[in-house]
Amino acid sequence: MTRVLAVAHKEITQIRRDHVLPRLIVGLPVMMMLLFGYAINFTLSGIRLSVYDGSADRVSQALVQELGKDDKFRLTHAARSPQEVPEAIDEGRARVGLVIPEGALQTVRQDKSLVIEVYVDGSDPNFAFQAQAALRKALGDLNGRLLAGKALAGQAVTPPLTPSLHTLYNPDNKTAWFMIPGIIGLILTQFTVLLTALSIVREGESRMMETLIATPVKPYEVVLGKVLPYLGISFVVALLVLALGHWVFGVPVQGNLGWLLLLMLLFLVGSLGVGVLISTLARTQVQAVFGTFAYAFPTIFLSGFVFPIDGMPALFQAVSYAVPARYLIEGLRGVMLRGVGWEFLWLDFLALSVFGALVLMLASSRFRKQLAV
Amino acid sequence: MVSVEGVSRRFGSFRALEGVSLEVHPGEVFGLLGPNGAGKTTLIRILSGVLEPSEGRASVAGLDVRRQPDGVKAAIGYATQEVSVYRDLTVRENLEFRARLYLEPKAVRPAVERTLGRFGLGEFAEKLAGALSGGWRQRLALAQAVVHGPRVLFLDEPTTGLDPVSRRTIWDLIHEEARAGVSVLVTTHYMDEAERCTRLALLYGGRVLATGTPAELKALAQSQARFAFARTQATPEALRAQPGVLEAWPSGDGMRLILEPGAHPPLELAPAMPSLEDVFVVLTRQSAALLAGGAR
Repeated sequence: MTRVLAVAHKEITQIRRDHVLPRLIVGLPVMMMLLFGYAINFTLSGIRLSVYDGSADRVSQALVQELGKDDKFRLTHAARSPQEVPEAIDEGRARVGLVIPEGALQTVRQDKSLVIEVYVDGSDPNFAFQAQAALRKALGDLNGRLLAGKALAGQAVTPPLTPSLHTLYNPDNKTAWFMIPGIIGLILTQFTVLLTALSIVREGESRMMETLIATPVKPYEVVLGKVLPYLGISFVVALLVLALGHWVFGVPVQGNLGWLLLLMLLFLVGSLGVGVLISTLARTQVQAVFGTFAYAFPTIFLSGFVFPIDGMPALFQAVSYAVPARYLIEGLRGVMLRGVGWEFLWLDFLALSVFGALVLMLASSRFRKQLAV
Repeated sequence: MVSVEGVSRRFGSFRALEGVSLEVHPGEVFGLLGPNGAGKTTLIRILSGVLEPSEGRASVAGLDVRRQPDGVKAAIGYATQEVSVYRDLTVRENLEFRARLYLEPKAVRPAVERTLGRFGLGEFAEKLAGALSGGWRQRLALAQAVVHGPRVLFLDEPTTGLDPVSRRTIWDLIHEEARAGVSVLVTTHYMDEAERCTRLALLYGGRVLATGTPAELKALAQSQARFAFARTQATPEALRAQPGVLEAWPSGDGMRLILEPGAHPPLELAPAMPSLEDVFVVLTRQSAALLAGGAR
């Protein structure tokens, strides 16, 4: 037993002497708890809503008001024509759309049923399901009130408002369609960052860097040379997942494959930069692994990979804008499920380019400083 | 081939090198002898274009290390203290990798084959470097440093941790390189290895104490102290307390002594030849005395 304790004591001393590891060991669980506790919220609120109101009367206004109750929905787009409603969802300005036809009040008065066209962004089945339930509830509540008035007047009862539901992008609510773009994002993050960081740290650990810097090879050539194979590997793996998703799970690629590949490539370059950056902060491979975790957790939780960003508190929604994977996944889903093009993707491309450029600059300056002992 | 003039290097307030000057000629095996922390590695790193000198000038193969570090790097071969081979690559792959950093693609294969042959590594070519014994791995490290045919070779403690037989082999290989016209600068803290160098610089506290052939350095030491052997049972402490005794330590069935030139302690003395270690002791004592006296 004393010998076991001796080994344990030695181990603890070594952990404490490590400057990075203890912080990560304490920091990571805390970060996870906070993310799970606050950010991850499966109950949606503030769903962005686009409405075309063809009637603009008491009934239609009551409906819009009913939807806004409890902050379930938030009117972010007032459409001027029925066509604008699905377009707004295409462009990502809203995730649920209503088209209220003309003459709502008369239809209800005449004891006929008013058919309301409902469009739901189905790329996330979880979201679509919740949004539909909320819509039905709102419609039901309003129906009840309208009927209550009529029943007192001794009239016949037909439900005044009936939704006609259109689930966009993922009509069969297949989870795979939603998950696979996210999984691609996750793989690209994990693979590249971890592999790059590990391979560079390993070079440092074996003191090989000291030899290499005395040869004609330039530091950036070393990094580039080390990073290129992983760029290739990660890209091939991403293509593999893409192909699997397409042929096995039937995930469509509605948009241009070229956009898809370009998005992935751009994201990869940034992720490699993050890997190099971590390698300059970590001195051992264990530190590099933990450093990658620290980077990957926010990516998993705040990129919209599984957990809907719309369900997060405002603070975390704001933070999610700083998570590069968010733009990748947004872009991938856009191209694959919605078939969007440049007019929607430019923001994602811009964000990923800025991310890549920043990270590469930071990584190369840190890397150079580290070598200039 | 290598020319160093008044080179100093500071890290913050720490002076790693202080006004170092030396000259290495073609075909010479020049030894940098000194204890750990004397500045040997710092000097080698400056000469290989990795580190800039704070002061002074140095040129390697006719190129200024400060202005043409890339040219210097291309002209030299460098083996670090740690055995710098990739253990998960084969012997041949290690050599190929290194050669490709310097040479045109076409020149790589012949260079690797030539080196494999010259270092007797041919039969291990397809073996993983990690599977080699320490001596053979060191041999591979040396082969890597010369695979591209450098004109100047820097070896930082090339035999650390090797058994005497392997050390001997490594030194034979080093001399072979020198005979082929390469200038070799090698650091060591093994005194017996220093004897194998054409010329030596004694480095201590970042300064060069003396430069010369092993014989010259011994003569220099003999001019400043007397070296003797005494068959006595006295402890080293007791002997050192005697007037005129600079240093004393057990050797065989008696004591080796370093004495001030005119000293005559009450002992039966037999004259002894100074070893390089003795030279080092005498010269470092002198330097310490000078430093303590405030002389600069």
